[in-house]
Amino acid sequence: MSPLTPQSSPLSSPFAHNNQSVRQLMFKVQLAVIPALLVHIYLFGFGIVIQWVLAFATLLVVEFTMLKLRNRPVRPFITDMSAMITATVLVFCIPAGAPWWIIVSGTAFALIFGKHIYGGLGYNPFNPAMLGYAFLLLSFPVQMTQWTAPTEILDYAVSFTNSLHLIFTGNLPQAALGANLDMISAATPLSQLQIGLTQGQGVTESLTPIALEAQTHYQNGSVINGFFYSTAQFFSLNSWAWVNVAFLIGGLWLLAVRAIRWQYPVGFLSSLSLISFIFYTIDPNTYPPVDFMLLSGGTMLAAFFIITDPVTSSTTPKGRFIFACGIGILVYVIRTWGIFPDGITFAVLLMNIAVPLIDQYTQPRVYGHK
Amino acid sequence: MNATFMHTFIRPLAILYPMAKRWLHRFHGGVFPQTYKSLSLKHPIKSTPIPERLILPVKQLSGQKVAWHVAVGDTVQKNQCLVRAAKENKKGIIVPIHAPTSGVIHAIEMRPLPHPSGLNALSIIIKPDFKDSALNNALNVNGEVPETPQQLKDILLNAGIVGLGGAGFPTFAKLPNQTGIINTLIMNGAECEPFITCDDVLMQTHAQDILKGAVMIAQILGIPSIICGIEENKPAAIQAMNAAAKRLTKKTSQINITIQTLPAVYPMGGEKQLIQELTGIEIPAKTHAIDSGLLVFNVATFAAIFKAITLGEPLTQRLVTVAGLGLKHSYNTYALLGTPFLTLANAGQPTHSIQDPLIMGGPMMGFQVADNHVPVIKTTNCILVQPPKPATEIMVMPCIRCGECMDACPVNLLPQQMFWHSQAHEFDKVEKLNIFDCIECGCCSYVCPSHIPLVQFYRHAKSEIKHNHAEQQAAELAKQRHEFRLARIEREKQEREARIKAKKAAVKKQAQKPSDASSAKSAAMKAAAARAAAKRATQQESKQEIEQSAQADEISQNSPPPLSARQKAIDTAKKQAAAKVGSKVAPNKDPRTSAKQAAKKAAAMAAAKRRAQTSLKNDSNVTAPKTEAKTDSNANPTQTTEHSKQTMNDKRTQAMEAAKKRAAERKAQQESP
Amino acid sequence: MEGWFISITAAILIFVGLAIVFGLLLGYAAIRFKVEGNPMAEQIDKVLPQTQCGQCTFPGCKPYAEALAKGETEVNLCVPGGTDTMILISEITGLEPKEMENTEAEHKPKETAFIDEDVCIGCVLCIKACPVDAILGATKLMHTVIQSECTGCDKCAPVCPVDCIDMRPPSVSIDNWQWPEPKTKLESSLEITLKQNSNLLIKNQKGEIK
Repeated sequence: MSPLTPQSSPLSSPFAHNNQSVRQLMFKVQLAVIPALLVHIYLFGFGIVIQWVLAFATLLVVEFTMLKLRNRPVRPFITDMSAMITATVLVFCIPAGAPWWIIVSGTAFALIFGKHIYGGLGYNPFNPAMLGYAFLLLSFPVQMTQWTAPTEILDYAVSFTNSLHLIFTGNLPQAALGANLDMISAATPLSQLQIGLTQGQGVTESLTPIALEAQTHYQNGSVINGFFYSTAQFFSLNSWAWVNVAFLIGGLWLLAVRAIRWQYPVGFLSSLSLISFIFYTIDPNTYPPVDFMLLSGGTMLAAFFIITDPVTSSTTPKGRFIFACGIGILVYVIRTWGIFPDGITFAVLLMNIAVPLIDQYTQPRVYGHK
Repeated sequence: MNATFMHTFIRPLAILYPMAKRWLHRFHGGVFPQTYKSLSLKHPIKSTPIPERLILPVKQLSGQKVAWHVAVGDTVQKNQCLVRAAKENKKGIIVPIHAPTSGVIHAIEMRPLPHPSGLNALSIIIKPDFKDSALNNALNVNGEVPETPQQLKDILLNAGIVGLGGAGFPTFAKLPNQTGIINTLIMNGAECEPFITCDDVLMQTHAQDILKGAVMIAQILGIPSIICGIEENKPAAIQAMNAAAKRLTKKTSQINITIQTLPAVYPMGGEKQLIQELTGIEIPAKTHAIDSGLLVFNVATFAAIFKAITLGEPLTQRLVTVAGLGLKHSYNTYALLGTPFLTLANAGQPTHSIQDPLIMGGPMMGFQVADNHVPVIKTTNCILVQPPKPATEIMVMPCIRCGECMDACPVNLLPQQMFWHSQAHEFDKVEKLNIFDCIECGCCSYVCPSHIPLVQFYRHAKSEIKHNHAEQQAAELAKQRHEFRLARIEREKQEREARIKAKKAAVKKQAQKPSDASSAKSAAMKAAAARAAAKRATQQESKQEIEQSAQADEISQNSPPPLSARQKAIDTAKKQAAAKVGSKVAPNKDPRTSAKQAAKKAAAMAAAKRRAQTSLKNDSNVTAPKTEAKTDSNANPTQTTEHSKQTMNDKRTQAMEAAKKRAAERKAQQESP
Repeated sequence: MEGWFISITAAILIFVGLAIVFGLLLGYAAIRFKVEGNPMAEQIDKVLPQTQCGQCTFPGCKPYAEALAKGETEVNLCVPGGTDTMILISEITGLEPKEMENTEAEHKPKETAFIDEDVCIGCVLCIKACPVDAILGATKLMHTVIQSECTGCDKCAPVCPVDCIDMRPPSVSIDNWQWPEPKTKLESSLEITLKQNSNLLIKNQKGEIK
């Protein structure tokens, strides 16, 4: 306090506000994942719902405890919904059939070590969800790569009770077709590709089975199946691609309501497209095509929901773009040459480290300073 | 891309994506708050009665004096000058204050100012007699357009006109002294703040006056073009101004008048933003619009200028918007300067009795007044009774670095970086982020989803930075002064040592001499002592009595107690002068008588000198006696021997007596007026 | 046989060579990029507040700075400078930061001396005490403080025999008024928020505000 401050403290202008709040912002982001959630449920079964409920329960307990321990008021911070975003992103990142303790420990780690120990909302240098995911991937690699197969491969949907059983016991009930765990899990297109490439197959060869599965699955049946069939046939959209499309739709809405900034998706997707286009043109047999890159793994989830986290990303407009481009390039590098099938986590965490540097060198020109 | 195309393309897009409206204007960012302007536009200009008391705060700046033209109890007429800047101010930026109505000066006392600090200021309280009898042509103008910029500036100064848009900088001080410097005169009719409509109403009703005022300024300063920018949400004002411009252009064809419609965005009315919008010129940092050949005034200022030039009317009232969600009847009125806020607010039929502090200005840049009885001043464009309350909640959350503030900033600053550093008290970093380019428009706070009072952080940081700079300067000054003092003490010490040495040498010499003049020896010693004292005293005087303390005790042994150090110094100086004179005369005459005469003469001379010195005390005598003292001390040993036969006692007493007399005289003189 | 000897010699030679090369490089860099910094005492003197108050037990800021530069004293003696200055000093000198002993004086606003002119007897004691010659006056005449030059060191007040010197904060005017810092240090802000929220809730129940 300066010495010349009188006792009374006047309120400063402005006395008007556009009535936006952090909670509203977070709520919009939460709303925007609903299309992806629905598509995911339709295509992969109810596993994700159970995971989501688990994550939510965990976050309530963790947030409450942490806020109490940090001596912060609980209500305003637990209702700001920022933890919800973290949990939701994490749920979409892990396999839907993963054991319950995966999501619980992941969410707890993300919130405690990703957020609270740095001082809570607004003070964390790393994306909490990605930190949680990295923790899970490094600690439990087996469980984290047992992806539930979509209905198009299984030819049937895993029921709610079966999912429940799977998540809490680690196995399907005996009654359920006598199936074992291997039967309902499948490699994602990205890992399929990686396996194929290491076995000396070309890109097309590695990916053909997936495309065929989808086509055969949707060949007969209802109208909606017909729709998926035609997209599977003509655009070679598999289930994973469909989830990505759903994220894209939600993300575009977020852009329109200014919950996120255009620099993130544009920078990320364009740099990823550009680099994959360059390599695809050089050698189409070793490097996957652009559309595959954009619609597989968590590309769209990252573009609109992960890298757009304002707290951990660059703040200047130019900086945001550079940040997003950096992630795009790193994602491609890790996917293509790294040992992990999807590189978003590490790409994001690496670029989080670079944020202060980017901010330093991308400050905009202030009016009148030429 | 032309403007109309942009409009037809972007308007529909703005329905889907509201922030597309930001692409319609040239400056960065901006916000689109709900304007609430129709509240006060619904009603015609309301006439409000003269209040019971008018309070006119007298602006006071450190180092600036004001000349009072009235005293408590005086009867004043409307437009009579009450107080103005004193003539001795070289850089007067205080404008005179005139009586807004006729009445009696009730009091001159401290009253709260309409200022965020709520501090008190000396104010003239007028008790109106409700006759409103006015002085006609109080400024004594001939009704014709003045010919030179200087004449214009004189009129504007005498009329007490300041920028009526909000900053309140004296208009005359803004004008250049020569013609031909300004190439565009910009009229600010943007009025982008919500609720405020006083400029809008003024343009609707006095378009002719406003434009005439502008044309006069353009003629005097040789400005070829006038641009008036008005936001598109004031169609009636645009129409009125266009019509008036058409009529005027017929008469004054050499000046090009343009009325330009501007997109409605806050803060379009900011000087730099308006300039950028109208001319595309970006005023370089740390320069003023005038350096780029532009002159910007609010439309209301032009109307006031017109009145002053043609009618000789000083600025004693202004159009004020009294609006807010707490009023049933928001309105515009010509308020006399000095009208208490609460009087005007109550005239708008408040829905509840007004308890919360009123806001002077709009919701974006206004401030809460500490006392609702503060008066309307020249910059009061709006009295806001109740700003819109937040719809849902007020919750200050941590910054999530979303960057909304940065996208909204019209100056393209990095508000959230400035906030982080301000919060951490890293004010040097805040300064590096160009915080002094911040116009405190409030856009950042307006859009902040965390509801952080960003503007207040910047205001606090700005005042801290200014304070720190002042402290640094003070520390530098203190350091210099301290070092000077140390050097001085050191020098004095050396000088004293040198003197003691000299004295010792003299004593030695004396001792070596034959003992035939034992009385002479003692006299010589005394003379030497007197000389030393004289030297010390003169030195002290030369250093302007700050330091004499160091030797005060020593001196007090030599001179009678009631004399001050200064007197002692003078006294010894006289003695010294006497001795000098005496020494010149001594060889020819009988030492005793000659010494007496010399002493008398010397006393007279010293007195004359002293008079001269007292008149020039502050600077001229600093060096003179000092040098004298020095030469004297060089000559000291030889002189001592020369004067050995003189009796110093007599001289000394005489000189002292003379000095005492003189002092008494001076005292009497001082007391008599 | 000789294989091991050759390999060891090679290794030694390589490392000696590297050491020489890097040594030369570093030596060159030290000359080439030599920072012509201020002597330490001057640097320290720059960060000291220059009140010349002597609370550090040295006769002024510079002597303290010199003593610090020689490492003869503690870093936490500057009372008017407070913790901020202490940290700066420890950064310059490389000495360990030490907690301030007298922390309450730290946030005391800067004050300046005022002489009660009716009481002053003109003893010149304060003039002698003032480290920056900011007091004007003469024996038996009234003294006064040049406000703009007073550092607020408080050296004059104790020596006054009639106790006519006060330390006062500078008066607040429009020119030097400062905007207070907003209270959004989280806790206090949340207190306010919660209060406001509860107020709003009450109002909501009354149906005054939607």
